[in-house]
Amino acid sequence: MSTTQCPELELLFNELSAGSGVSLEHAKSCERCTEILNEHRELERELFRLSDPFPPSTFLHQVMARVAAHPVSAYREVKVGLAIMFGAFTLALGALVMGGGIGRMGILAASAVVHSQTLAVGLNSAISTLWAAAALPMLVSLALVLFAALFALKRLMAGAPQFSEVKISS
Amino acid sequence: MTNAHLASLLPSIAIPMTLPDDGKSLPWKKDVVAARRGDHSAFASLVRSVQRPVYGLCLRLLKSDAEASEVAQDAFLRAFQNLHRYDEGRPFDLWVIAIARNLCLDILRRRAKVRTEDIEEMKEVLPAGDETQENRAIAHEEHKSLEGALATLPVEDREVLELYYVQKRTTKEIAGVIGVAPGTIMARLFRAREKLRKQMAPRELS
Repeated sequence: MSTTQCPELELLFNELSAGSGVSLEHAKSCERCTEILNEHRELERELFRLSDPFPPSTFLHQVMARVAAHPVSAYREVKVGLAIMFGAFTLALGALVMGGGIGRMGILAASAVVHSQTLAVGLNSAISTLWAAAALPMLVSLALVLFAALFALKRLMAGAPQFSEVKISS
Repeated sequence: MTNAHLASLLPSIAIPMTLPDDGKSLPWKKDVVAARRGDHSAFASLVRSVQRPVYGLCLRLLKSDAEASEVAQDAFLRAFQNLHRYDEGRPFDLWVIAIARNLCLDILRRRAKVRTEDIEEMKEVLPAGDETQENRAIAHEEHKSLEGALATLPVEDREVLELYYVQKRTTKEIAGVIGVAPGTIMARLFRAREKLRKQMAPRELS
């Protein structure tokens, strides 16, 4: 029989989890503490035997039906896109200011305005020449670009695949 | 439901997961990346791999099959909608479990509010003796099994016992889900076990 005072239960159980300690040493020679520890071990054994039940068999299908019915909102994607754009713009502006490029950019902008008329005339002349030389290939190319752009836009709008397209094995 | 409320349900923001990245394989990572791109079959695979513990926790907390299934489904839907907030270096199951737990606590809070109002109404109608007798009969039946005794414990005790003993999680993992220090989990486990032991005592005497 131990002559030392019995420890707090919490301390005793913590030392049991840890595997060693003064309280555990005391318990070896104390009938009362040994009985408490045995009772505790039995309760833990019973608790560890418990297991989670399986969800209903239709659970996965119900989850996926909900997922299909509530697609991720496009608003979030637009928000993220705008945030990236804004971040990039701020960075570029910061770089320009830091590098003293604002003045140069102003000169370039003014120069573009001055030369815009020449640019417009040149562009018009190029299109006319191209139209006269190869009207059909140009039309076909334009139609292809337009078709590809519309197809890409349609795919983008359609978003994620529908639930009916997803194969779920149980 | 407001955005602020939605955000409060998501553990990646409200509760930082404290698990270390120990370089172990991350089996959910591939599926998470694919699911983020809108691959529903990848998300189905994720659901399949963690549905049991998620549903199990919901059932333990809510004590109703129908509600547990409903809330677990809701948790997965929110997980899908917020996959962009999930850090794939952390365990996916614990992330969904934390979402499900928050949803369960919300329901329990609402339930408690409704019950308080109901009890106030019932007090005016029922004689006090009948209620006590009925409660005693229910308690007697519940003490018959460990599951029953567990079900009589408060929700904060049930959740730690479920996660530690039934799901075999470490105190560190549980701390990450609940959002407290691992030491607190040890103390809560001790208190929960003590309550459970006391609940089981009448069964042993009878």
